[in-house]
Amino acid sequence: MARVGVFVCHCGENISATVDCEKVAKESGDLNSVVFSTDYKYMCSDPGQTLIKEAIKEHKLDRVVVAACSPRMHEPTFRKACSEAGMNPYLCEMANIREHCSWVHPKSEETTAKAGDLVRTIVEKVKKNKPLQAIKVPITKTAIVIGGGVAGIQSALDIANCGHKVIMVEKQPSIGGHMSQLSETFPTLDCSQCILTPRMVEVAQHPNITLYTYAEIESVDGFIGNFKVKIRRKSKSLDENLCTGCGLCTTKCPKKKIPNEFERGLGNRTAIYVPFPQAVPNKPVIDRENCNYYQKGTCKVCEKVCPVQAIRFDQEDQIIEVEAGALVVCTGFDVLKPNFFPEYGYGKYKDVIDGLQFERLASASGPTKGEIRRPSDGEIPKKIVFIACAGSRDPAKGIEYCSKICCMYTAKHAMLYKHKVHDGTPYVFYMDIRAGGKMYEEFVRRAIVEDDTKYIRGRVSTVFERNGKLIVRGADTLMGAQPVEIEADMVVLASAGVSNPDSEELAQRLHVSYDAYKFFAEAHPKLKPVETNTAGIFLAGACQAPKDIPESVAAASGAAVKVAALFSNSELTREPVVAEVNRQAPPVFSTCTGCFLCEKVCPYQAIEREEIKDRNGNVIKTLARINKGLCQGCGTCVALCRVKAIDLHGFSNQQMYSEVMALLNF
Amino acid sequence: MSDILINKVKQLLSDKAIDIFIGHGEGTGGRIRPIFVRTPEDAEQLIFNENCKQSWANYLLKPEVKAAGKIGMMATKHALRAMMQLASEFQIKDNEVLALYWDNNELKSSADFKEIEAYLASQNHDILPHEQEMIDKLNAMTTQERWDFWQKEYEKCIKCYACRSACPMCYCHHCAAEGNQPQWIPVASHQLGNMDWHLMRAMHLSGRCINCGACAKVCPMHIPLNLLTYNLITPIQQEFGAIAGMKHDATYALSTFKTEDKENFIL
Repeated sequence: MARVGVFVCHCGENISATVDCEKVAKESGDLNSVVFSTDYKYMCSDPGQTLIKEAIKEHKLDRVVVAACSPRMHEPTFRKACSEAGMNPYLCEMANIREHCSWVHPKSEETTAKAGDLVRTIVEKVKKNKPLQAIKVPITKTAIVIGGGVAGIQSALDIANCGHKVIMVEKQPSIGGHMSQLSETFPTLDCSQCILTPRMVEVAQHPNITLYTYAEIESVDGFIGNFKVKIRRKSKSLDENLCTGCGLCTTKCPKKKIPNEFERGLGNRTAIYVPFPQAVPNKPVIDRENCNYYQKGTCKVCEKVCPVQAIRFDQEDQIIEVEAGALVVCTGFDVLKPNFFPEYGYGKYKDVIDGLQFERLASASGPTKGEIRRPSDGEIPKKIVFIACAGSRDPAKGIEYCSKICCMYTAKHAMLYKHKVHDGTPYVFYMDIRAGGKMYEEFVRRAIVEDDTKYIRGRVSTVFERNGKLIVRGADTLMGAQPVEIEADMVVLASAGVSNPDSEELAQRLHVSYDAYKFFAEAHPKLKPVETNTAGIFLAGACQAPKDIPESVAAASGAAVKVAALFSNSELTREPVVAEVNRQAPPVFSTCTGCFLCEKVCPYQAIEREEIKDRNGNVIKTLARINKGLCQGCGTCVALCRVKAIDLHGFSNQQMYSEVMALLNF
Repeated sequence: MSDILINKVKQLLSDKAIDIFIGHGEGTGGRIRPIFVRTPEDAEQLIFNENCKQSWANYLLKPEVKAAGKIGMMATKHALRAMMQLASEFQIKDNEVLALYWDNNELKSSADFKEIEAYLASQNHDILPHEQEMIDKLNAMTTQERWDFWQKEYEKCIKCYACRSACPMCYCHHCAAEGNQPQWIPVASHQLGNMDWHLMRAMHLSGRCINCGACAKVCPMHIPLNLLTYNLITPIQQEFGAIAGMKHDATYALSTFKTEDKENFIL
């Protein structure tokens, strides 16, 4: 017969304010098999734990039920205490009478009765608990950083500098991300490229970092410490080892009128191209969609001019499989094409551009070499209207959140424009100025006071063309919603920052959760901002929500520390809450029918096939077998198995049944 | 028709192409029963007429039948679908079972999954009109009415498990209803026990039922059991685009995840 001890915690007043803990303890003492029960103000405190340990020895307890909070926080605490008293830790269970009872009900007899019911179910469950042994698994001390923007670069360098191997996977032909497209950065106005490119080079040259550009994550299997990741290295049509990056091919390519993505369509590129002059690696790729050879079958000019014969037209995508202990997702964000705002005329008028296009105009390496010129005729605009919140904070457009960076970069744009065109006048239409951050408010003030930017609080209703001018019609809500009309030469839309178009698919591949806007979700908004709900996968940067550079870098270093902390141990201790397929004597071997419907449902690919053979090596039966290292104990296979051939240790059918039956008073 | 079949089976058995043939035979009172033919002489007992609509696929996995050697079977459309579904659950292999089936009055034989799939694709698999009518009637009921309807039906159940024996998809060696550690499904044929059993069966067949209707046909208490499982076919087809038993390598709709699956059930 089991000897169960019940320990009821008051949790200060969290539980005892609505539940009569003494009564629960007293009544639990009368339950079958319960030989000791008591209550205490803080069971998780040192004296509380000592109380449990002494009771185990004194009353020869072999099962412990702690009626307290959710097991998420303190189950390990109490199991450790039991273990120190010589008990198998998995013979200790928690009854959650706080979140499931005291916090959600008023003080009453019924609340106390419910707490008693919860204790009773767990007492019945714990009687069926079996001693389990923790599982130890080794850790592969390699991290994969997905995305080579500023967050990815920071994270990769931090992890690599801790002495761990890093594999960086970047979708584009070069690392650098959105930051490499920026002209100057707020609030200091230092050149974005000048601070970023040295770090890009550092990534490429770091002995601990392997860089795969033009590559994507194909699949992620496994679990914390032991991920198996397939990376698709898209064909660059180039032997990278031979290519010297001389750039001759890019100058000779006959296809010269392809809109350049890096320049946001403001410049052109060739079919074999390097995205930008400071690219890392500084080696070209062939864009097969636009290449004469791939589309029409003739050309091969690049191959002819290449001095080292590095062009490989027959190169295919390569899938490489790597093992990693942790992943850091830094896939960044996208800028919404403002063409969903037809009233602002984006796409219709050439001189209505978005913020990122303005960055390229203002950039020294951009299509105009840093001069602010209109895309339509190359004239220097004398009046620019900047429209903040183009899409953001607009439930009607489906984006309810604040994109956060636009207020700051709009002020920066106005300032840059004024610095370059002294007689120009920048106007900014805004809803609110959100400049929270170190030196941010001062920066916006400077744009208004020193650089004479005209800030108008109000929304723009329409932009249209009249006599070669863009007429911006809006309202000034600080002047009694008086209509305003400005004849502008150029309009810049601070369009909303949104999640990447493929973020949902990536999230599903990684098994991480995401929010309604398809941004990746952190495990806890305050206390676990860089963790995901999947152990071993971390987040950094704007893939979580729009973030500015300092925030992205801070999160990246945070995620790097989490990875380094994980890698500081040689092995990982895992809960033995894993599923197992039953085994029986021949000729049945197992009640498993080998239908393998469970194989597909397992999110962790933990179900393998085991062949039972006779003495002559003939297969008699094929059964499912669960890999304990991969199983995460989610129980999905248990629910799916028709024969109930699978059981979950710690949550077995027997335990669940006893719990339910106790609740039904059977 | 019977003669063509008898000659074919005789030849298959004498050529040792098969060792045992499962076919339709004369039962008592004008009924049809399965017969297991092992010799060319015994093939004379085979019949085939318009009453031979039964699927014998539920015998394919019986250890006694498997032990006989290579199996041949007179297959109705439903038996072929059962074969494909069993194949997708790794219970039979390609070229393991020789199926004889009528295609436009021509007796064909194949053990090749691709050929059988092609034949199945050319056939109509809709639920019969009078059955669909019953389903529509059930769906038009209020929850309470439907509950009352089924409670009344379950009341008749005597837990003989004939439905389980007739079902080609109920092939587990150890049915969950027989598990007693713990006893999730009460043994007794009382209201709770009966309901538990039928609901469990319906859940286990969701996405796997090949609508052969054998369960209802064999029920001695005339419970329209097939409606329970049929009613799950349409929603699964609508949500996941799959009906059971059409492909030997189909993936089970309820255990496979595709990124393009609808998530309209998530609030």
